[in-house]
Amino acid sequence: MIDRRTFLQTTALGAIAAAIGARAHAAEPLGIALILPSPNGDVGWSHSLVAGLDPVKAAYGDAVKITIVENIPEGPDADRIMNKAVADGNKVLIAGSFGYQNGAMQIAKRDPSVTVLHASGFMVAPNFSPFAAKYFQGTYLMGMAAAALSKSGKLGSVSAFAIPELITSINAFTLGAQAVNPNIEVSVVWVNSWFDPAKEQEAAKALLAQGCDVIFSNAQDTPSVISVCEEAGVPSFNLNSSMKSYAPKTYLGCVATDWSPFFKASVDAHVAGTFQGANAFLGVADKVVEVVDWSPNVPADLMAKIKEVEATIADGSFSPFTGPITKADGSEGVAAGTTLTDDQIVAMDWHVKGVATPLPQ
Amino acid sequence: MNGIEFILANMLAAATPFLLAALGELVVERSGVLNLGIEGIMALGAVIAFIIVYHGGSHAVAFLGAGFAGACLSLIFGVLALGFRANQVAVGLAIGILGQGLSALIGNSYEALTVTGLSKITLPGLSSIPVIGGLFTQDAIVWLSLVATLAVWGMFRFTRLGLVIRAVGENPKAAHAIGYPVIALRYGAILFGGAMAGLAGAYAATVYTPLWADGMIAGRGWIALALVVFGTWMTGRVFFGALLFGAVSLGGLAAQAQAVPLNSQLLSSLPYIVTIVVLGIISSNRRLLKINGVASLGEPYER
Repeated sequence: MIDRRTFLQTTALGAIAAAIGARAHAAEPLGIALILPSPNGDVGWSHSLVAGLDPVKAAYGDAVKITIVENIPEGPDADRIMNKAVADGNKVLIAGSFGYQNGAMQIAKRDPSVTVLHASGFMVAPNFSPFAAKYFQGTYLMGMAAAALSKSGKLGSVSAFAIPELITSINAFTLGAQAVNPNIEVSVVWVNSWFDPAKEQEAAKALLAQGCDVIFSNAQDTPSVISVCEEAGVPSFNLNSSMKSYAPKTYLGCVATDWSPFFKASVDAHVAGTFQGANAFLGVADKVVEVVDWSPNVPADLMAKIKEVEATIADGSFSPFTGPITKADGSEGVAAGTTLTDDQIVAMDWHVKGVATPLPQ
Repeated sequence: MNGIEFILANMLAAATPFLLAALGELVVERSGVLNLGIEGIMALGAVIAFIIVYHGGSHAVAFLGAGFAGACLSLIFGVLALGFRANQVAVGLAIGILGQGLSALIGNSYEALTVTGLSKITLPGLSSIPVIGGLFTQDAIVWLSLVATLAVWGMFRFTRLGLVIRAVGENPKAAHAIGYPVIALRYGAILFGGAMAGLAGAYAATVYTPLWADGMIAGRGWIALALVVFGTWMTGRVFFGALLFGAVSLGGLAAQAQAVPLNSQLLSSLPYIVTIVVLGIISSNRRLLKINGVASLGEPYER
């Protein structure tokens, strides 16, 4: 519901923003604002977004002015800060968390001269692109390595929430492991929290106590799980940015995300006036997802095989979600000879056979 | 190691942050003051202790520093709540928010760094018992927190100081009339509570997890507060509640790791449900509740 007061407020705000924006356009450098859900540390999701802007800075120099606002909770606060960023003359807004979606979309609709890039959402507009990474392409490769290093045949994953993005990562991890050892089993502990380092560590210890001997830290922004595994002498890996420095002896590798190709292309398009909003679901082929800091403990012949698979994923001739794939409940997930489309992958709500822990409903 | 061994080996350490904070708050509330700022005080203690250990300080120094920082922050609460007789709920919440903000500010450049925790002490004989041996393999702070539990219990049970604190919480006017320094005692309780919350945060950031990340206390201060109320202000029940909460939350994680076909959201909420139900049942005796409840809790005292 929009009452008259909020209508007047938003219109006034929009008018001011437009006025300031127009003035800024004449003399000022291009303003880019990045809004982050967590503090920008040396590792993790927020860090990967910040690092993604480095090539933009390098290419444009003084012609861009980058503003980073960190640790903004999803909700009204985020809307206020994004509105302020646009009112301050920023023309490219990068909204770094799913929950910023509605506020960011309002800004995009109100001011067509602003280009909005939004992390992991589903809404699209001519000046609004959601972006997400195909982590599953990397976790498949990790699964292959994990199966070779595991002695117990049991792998574990500490995972945040049972949403499709995380489910697909676990599924691909399991399928990759089964490609090397068909009898592999994966246990998952859902901590049901985006951020609770102490609980994440307890979850990792619970998995280790069950005999899991390779651990996948699925969407944890701190090295909580990685450091527990180093202490226990068990290989572990994570997403987004490398945590090798926290586990120099046992680190298996990182399914890293490099947003710079996407950010650079989007800013280029904005400057050229050719930006067209679209769903950006990016992976190995786009050089957004890449496995880095591979452990030297992965056997050389397997490593060669992993590199082969990586190349077939990059050229599009292979997808981890190619049938036949059986669901955890025994029914058919993907028929033989068919491959899941991107739309089916982002909506995945079932585990593949081999994932022992039932999926929360 | 199976699920039971895992729970036995880790439940004391999991309970320690709750226990330390709740023991402090227990004394504060027994004296008739409600300090809702525990969460923020824990966060401040956590970041101070982490920075000390990160720069090569010993854990002993880190815990002292965290306790001191917690006491300092709670002193602000004391001045406002006792000196200016402000609303304790409002001031407590404000101090909690202040503590969280301060910890984020101080810890900004330490985000997501790690330190080495304390090593566990093996008790000869006991630690090698099958299944329950893990229960006797704990770090020094766990043992000290058990000693602190006994000390607080003994103080209320056997000492004059314990009785005086209870009297001040029960009826400050009467306590004042017979010559007890109500305000001074309440200040003392608040400083003790703040220091304990600081220690609880220090344990979370330098021993249990051990890393610093903004927001890492993740609601543990609020759980400690709830434990005091559900434990009906009795030391033994607060201890039992903390242990139960720790054990059930570990149990939920172990059940998932063992692929028990139970919903993970249910398992995540189980610690809260079980703790409330169990403590609710043992506290359902109305007569006992009336005896143990703190009559003047949260009321400003004016001479």
